[in-house]
Amino acid sequence: MSAWIYALFGAAFGWVLSRSGAADYDFIQGMFLFTNFQLYGIIGCAVLVTAPGLWWLKRHGRTAFGAALAVKPKPRHPGNIVGGVLFGIGWSITGMCPGPILVSLGEGKLYAVGALAGTLAGAALFGVLYERFPSRLRLPALNVGTGDG
Amino acid sequence: MLILHQLQPYPWAVAGVAIGAITLLLLWVTNQRLGISTGFENLCGLVIKAPYFRRSEIAGSNRWRLPFLGGLVLGGFLSAALSGGFAPFWDLGMFDRVIGWGPVGKLAWMFGGGLLIGFGTRMAGGCTSGHGIFGVSNFERASLESMLAFMLAGIATSNLVYRLGGI
Repeated sequence: MSAWIYALFGAAFGWVLSRSGAADYDFIQGMFLFTNFQLYGIIGCAVLVTAPGLWWLKRHGRTAFGAALAVKPKPRHPGNIVGGVLFGIGWSITGMCPGPILVSLGEGKLYAVGALAGTLAGAALFGVLYERFPSRLRLPALNVGTGDG
Repeated sequence: MLILHQLQPYPWAVAGVAIGAITLLLLWVTNQRLGISTGFENLCGLVIKAPYFRRSEIAGSNRWRLPFLGGLVLGGFLSAALSGGFAPFWDLGMFDRVIGWGPVGKLAWMFGGGLLIGFGTRMAGGCTSGHGIFGVSNFERASLESMLAFMLAGIATSNLVYRLGGI
C-alpha cells in the first residue's frame, strides 16, 4: 500500500485530534480533574463505534482488497501497568499523548518540540536498556516486544 | 474553547465517531492495527542500531508508520492553517494562568513529561490509541489494564499539580 494512503489516514486522524480537544492542554487537564466531560465522551464514543465494527470485521475476516484480516492481540505482561503509570504521569504533565505531540507540532505549539524531544529520548532509552531490565518485570522476549501499536 | 485560535471544539460524539471510523477504515483498507507510540521506535531505529530497534516488527513497519506519523503533523498544520493561519505560539492555557513559566521552563517541563511518555508507552506496549481505543475495543486484557493504569496516574498527577499545589 502506498505511503500516501497512510499519510492521508494520519492527516485525517490528526485533524480530528486537533479540532476535538484531544490535542489541547486545557481539555486534557479537564479530563484528569473531572471538570470537563469532552475527552471521556470522545474516547467512549470511539470505543462504542470501534468495538462492534471490529467484531464484525473479524467475523467477515477480509480486508477491502480480500486479504486475510490480521488482528494480533498485544502480549500481556507487568510492563503494561508499570509503563502505563509512567505514561499517565507524562500525559498529565505535557497534556499530550503520542498522537497529539505530533499534531501539536503541526499546529505550531512550540513547547511540543520539548515533548517530542523527551519522548524520543525516552523511547531510545527504553530500547537501549531492553535487555537489562530486571527479570521481575517479565517483559516479553526481544523479538516479540512489549506490544506494537 | 481550544487554545488553538480559540476555536469551538467539535462535539464529543462527532469526534468519537470520526476516530472510530478512522480506526476501522485503517484496518479494513490497509490491514493495520491503529497505534502511534510504536512509531517512535521506528524513528529511533533510523539512527540507533540497538537490537530492540532492529527486530522485524520495527524494520517491517517503517513503510507505514513513518508516513502515518508525518500525516499527524500535517493534520495539525492544516487544522491551524485553515482556521486562522499557521503562526507558532507558546500559549498553554491554564498552565500560563496557574504556573506561569516562560518558554525555557515550558520546554524543560515538556521534555521531562516526554521522557515518561516515550519510556512509559514503550514499556506498556501502547498508548491511548493502540491500547485505549483499539485494544480496549478488542477486549484485550493487556489494554484494559494499561488504560486503567495511565488514566489513574494522569488523574493523580493533575490533581497533585493543580489541586494540591505540587508545583
